[in-house]
Amino acid sequence: MTENIAEPDDLGPLRALGQVEPPGPGVLEAAREALWSAVAAEMLSADPGGRTSRARTGEVPGDVRRRRADPGR
Amino acid sequence: METDSALIEQSVQGRADAFVEVVQRHEAAVHGFLARRAGQQAAGDLLGEVWVRAFAARGGYDPAHPGARPWLYGIARNVLRAYWRSRQDTNAAAEEAVDPWDDVIDRLDSAAQARELISALQALPVPERDVLLLVAWEQLSPAEAAAVLGIPPGTVRSRLHRARAALRPVLAAASRET
Repeated sequence: MTENIAEPDDLGPLRALGQVEPPGPGVLEAAREALWSAVAAEMLSADPGGRTSRARTGEVPGDVRRRRADPGR
Repeated sequence: METDSALIEQSVQGRADAFVEVVQRHEAAVHGFLARRAGQQAAGDLLGEVWVRAFAARGGYDPAHPGARPWLYGIARNVLRAYWRSRQDTNAAAEEAVDPWDDVIDRLDSAAQARELISALQALPVPERDVLLLVAWEQLSPAEAAAVLGIPPGTVRSRLHRARAALRPVLAAASRET
């Protein structure tokens, strides 16, 4: 996120004004939950019977959602 | 490390869960973007909607941009505008008139040294303020801010120049006080 701009230091007080606390515990995870729901819904709609998904990935959407517990896979 | 663009392409081509990795890279930044403008509570409520909209729109992602953060900020901006419109009298609010600055001010530092800066920000035309805050708060380059707003980089630069010129005396005074 860098591109030199003419006056790099004059915005310091404005940056300070925009400081916010990091999100509370669980906030980011809760938002990701909504995304996982969309991911699972797309996989289901692309393959209502689930046969193709299992053939291609070896898993069904429920398996995808459970992988959240192991993000480092 | 794969680029955001490559992961988005994978998610379009059948590995939908690759998109989650993109989200994990940028979720703290996008939450900050929302929290600075709508507050912590609303940011938490709106973040999931940003991801769902981004996931639905990923097929239109421009692969010329390796990094997805400006694109995600653009989607977050649209989610915020819908949020603010939903809180306004719909008869009075044309889309382009959405300016929730009074709400933003309520959340900003009310210390004396910040008041003058807040007033100066409030006096800026909305398009100039949008550009200035993308550069100052989200630390975007003018080209990235242009991607967020969907306008030419040259327009961003001229708006940024005008905004900085308008705020220069106040910013200089604030710098001396800190």
